[in-house]
Amino acid sequence: MGEAAKASESARTITVEMHDNYYEPESITVKPGETVRFVIENKGALVHEFNLGTAQMHETHQRSMQMMVDHGVIRGDHIDHRMMEMDMGDGHSMKHDAPNAVLMEPGETKEIVWRFGGATDLEFACNVPGHYQAGMYGDIEFE
Amino acid sequence: MKRSILTALLAGFASLAVNAGEYNISVDRVQIDTGDFVKEGIGYNGASPGPILRFREGEEVTINVTNNLDEMTSIHWHGLILPFEQDGVPGISFPGIRPGETFTYQFPIVQAGTYWFHSHSGFQEPNGAYGAIVIEPEGREPFRYDREYVVQLTDKHPHSGDRIMRNLKTSADYYNRQQQTVGDFFSESARNGFVATLRDRMMWGEMRMMKADIEDVQGFTGLINGKGPEQNWTGLFEPGERIRLRFINSSAMTYFDIRIPGLTMTVVQADGNNVQPVNVDEFRLGVAETYDVIVHIRDEEAYTIFAESMGRSGFARGTLAPKEGMTADVPELREPPLLTMADMAGHMDHGDMNDDDMAGMDHGGAAMGSGMDHSAMGHGNMDQGSGSSLPQDPFYAQGSGLTPVASNGGRFLSYADLRAQNPLYEYREPTREIELRLTGNMERYEWSINGIKYEDADPIVLQYGERVRFKFVNETMMTHPMHLHGMWSILDVGEGKWNPLKHVISVAPATTVYMETEVDAPGEWAFHCHLSYHAAAGMFRKIVVEGGPDDQVDVSAVAREGGDA
Amino acid sequence: MKSWSRGVLLLPLIVAPVLSAHADKDRAVDAHSAGAQWGIGAEKFEYRYSDTGEELAVVEGDAFYGSDELKFRWLFEGEWEETHDAWETVENQFVAQVPVDDFWDAKGGIRIDTPKGPDRVYGVLGLTGLAPYWFEIDTNLYLSDEGDASVDFEAEYELLITNYWIVSATFETMVALSEDREIGVGKGLNYTEMGLRLSYDLIDRAFSPYVGVVHERKFGDTADFAEGDGGSTEDWFAVIGARIAF
Repeated sequence: MGEAAKASESARTITVEMHDNYYEPESITVKPGETVRFVIENKGALVHEFNLGTAQMHETHQRSMQMMVDHGVIRGDHIDHRMMEMDMGDGHSMKHDAPNAVLMEPGETKEIVWRFGGATDLEFACNVPGHYQAGMYGDIEFE
Repeated sequence: MKRSILTALLAGFASLAVNAGEYNISVDRVQIDTGDFVKEGIGYNGASPGPILRFREGEEVTINVTNNLDEMTSIHWHGLILPFEQDGVPGISFPGIRPGETFTYQFPIVQAGTYWFHSHSGFQEPNGAYGAIVIEPEGREPFRYDREYVVQLTDKHPHSGDRIMRNLKTSADYYNRQQQTVGDFFSESARNGFVATLRDRMMWGEMRMMKADIEDVQGFTGLINGKGPEQNWTGLFEPGERIRLRFINSSAMTYFDIRIPGLTMTVVQADGNNVQPVNVDEFRLGVAETYDVIVHIRDEEAYTIFAESMGRSGFARGTLAPKEGMTADVPELREPPLLTMADMAGHMDHGDMNDDDMAGMDHGGAAMGSGMDHSAMGHGNMDQGSGSSLPQDPFYAQGSGLTPVASNGGRFLSYADLRAQNPLYEYREPTREIELRLTGNMERYEWSINGIKYEDADPIVLQYGERVRFKFVNETMMTHPMHLHGMWSILDVGEGKWNPLKHVISVAPATTVYMETEVDAPGEWAFHCHLSYHAAAGMFRKIVVEGGPDDQVDVSAVAREGGDA
Repeated sequence: MKSWSRGVLLLPLIVAPVLSAHADKDRAVDAHSAGAQWGIGAEKFEYRYSDTGEELAVVEGDAFYGSDELKFRWLFEGEWEETHDAWETVENQFVAQVPVDDFWDAKGGIRIDTPKGPDRVYGVLGLTGLAPYWFEIDTNLYLSDEGDASVDFEAEYELLITNYWIVSATFETMVALSEDREIGVGKGLNYTEMGLRLSYDLIDRAFSPYVGVVHERKFGDTADFAEGDGGSTEDWFAVIGARIAF
């Protein structure tokens, strides 16, 4: 599905706006092997995620996101950073630090630079519980 | 030039047409066929349920209602925000619609979502006079779907409303066929010991209360969109589609626990208002509530919509299928729940029991009476991740027999999960609190608020511009869906401005639930338990909102007076 | 008729305005309140065969109209004796009933007995309701136009075999404070009647056929009077009948 890259390697910037609970645009077209700089702006009133992955990866990730909600890390319109850093007892915390994803509070702008691999079925999605199911995801189309 | 004027005129006319709809509804005698029985009833435009009214936010609607009955009628637009003269409550908003008369309702649509309409006269609603309202929003919704269905439930009974009321008044347990029997006594003795079982029966017997007192009116057939379980209402879909189901509980008396085995439901709307989406396996639909859920069906399979009544005395069933005629398994009804001492706590706190009687009883539920711990509610589902022990739903008494559990062990929607998606009101401190004790005498089938029945009660007077905090204290052993007309009920789930907006607040036995209301609608409104026979037995109030947007109201003066209902 | 019984007859006239005032409330109440209710039923409608070959038809019926606050009730009790081809008991009670507690109603009114023998008119004061542990209780004080006082007491307990098969146990007794020889009432304990009936709710709770046994026993002077009249003092009956409610 590709890998994280440096901003200098990207030829193209795609701005993705987060709203409650949908993205604009709702689908993105890339070329196989292309490096894209995504500028993601949370224009909604709630916490949202931008996550690149397959539908299956999103499904798995949704389980950990559910835990973050259950443990009070994601609190609707803000993130409890103290809870997020907290050691869960087995050396794990609920940090959200995968290279293919950003978790954002309202008003935040973040970037992901991604070099796509070959054409596969990819989606960008918000895995905050319920958001994906409400329709907050879009297809990555390969040219 | 001429041409552009014409175009402008046409455009103007077109937009007028879009923003002003006219609708005709006739109120008719109809036959209702549930599959189990055929019953004469009342419907709209020749059928029960009536048509689905589709409005658009911002539209000015004109609805001509023609009464073809030989008795008075009315239509109440349940959950709609409108001028009080249009609210359709006889004796409060207007005199009612006489036989043969056509009454024209006219009001702007200022909201979007799923609602319903029903007669507010006598027992016409239980007799079939109800229909659905779907309002398209002006803007984009915070969710998307490919297809939508209204799923309107009711508890159709072979007896007419008048007869049911009379039977309940004559004998409150007339319809209760889930009472504990000699057989139950012996099987419970085998499980818990003879002495413990006897002691339990003695305790309830001394109070003259029944653990099985959950559904007053049994013997109904659950209908989905007018179809009984055998008639199997079916909604078609294409595999891969996301389907929005607009659940409406138009029952007279019955709460439904709803699931679609094999599918997770994402709740996106409660009582017509968008909520932050919640994934659930099952939810409880109180009488007169609505929930919109989205399901995503990937495969070419049929799925059963299974709605068990809360007391498990009946069910409604429908199917989502890729092809007409395809069905899925229909689950068995689960064991009927029984009330516990926790559910009785509210009654005992104010009842006539002495201290001796109280000794040795589980006071678990009494903690609710002293108010919920709102700070804990944000973490209401803290332990969910560990999977083993589901958290106690804070909207049920601790140890309540009614606390819902998902049939697959998964997630059951709680009021505590509901958060407004986009709050309508800024949060502010309430100007005063009004305590409403939900009271009754089951044996006599008398229901009241603060111990006073509607016919003996003064109206509750509110001042325009206030934000009133209502404190519901349920001192009965029944669950009451409290419905305020004309203004939103902001359910306190301890989340400030994110508290969800509802039009029905369900209050479980022995619990205290708070709601706040921005008093922004002048006039006279109804406020009542939406269980038809509870409302008719006296659990009803008139609310008078004094003042209006043009009046200067000294709200602080009102606050000083305090709130006696 | 003595003056006190006229007073009892006036009772409905006193309470009627209360009901009509009730009806004067505004339209909202009409549209949203259950209002006055009514009911007609027969707790017992049965044939009894005694171990001595006696045959009786027994009816205990009741009709009411009224609100939560005030009900008017007509109670009827009749015993038709097959062998004598005569009404042993014909008892009509007209009472007003008001709640006095969550579970108890007080009632007051008049009772008119018109069996085959001499007639009697009584003033009635009673208490009816549900005692703890689900015992249905009905007890009354009667004062006759002859100046005799008596008290009766009835208790019923229902045991649910299933939610449709119900065993009801009844106990009934009467104590007279003074003798009324003419109608066979001795001073003191008059009789006891115990019944056990197994019923099945065939149509809702509207029609429930039953079979059962009833034991009747007369005591003291009352027993002597009965014996003197050629009657029995103790009987076992097999009963078949139905509970009816509309």
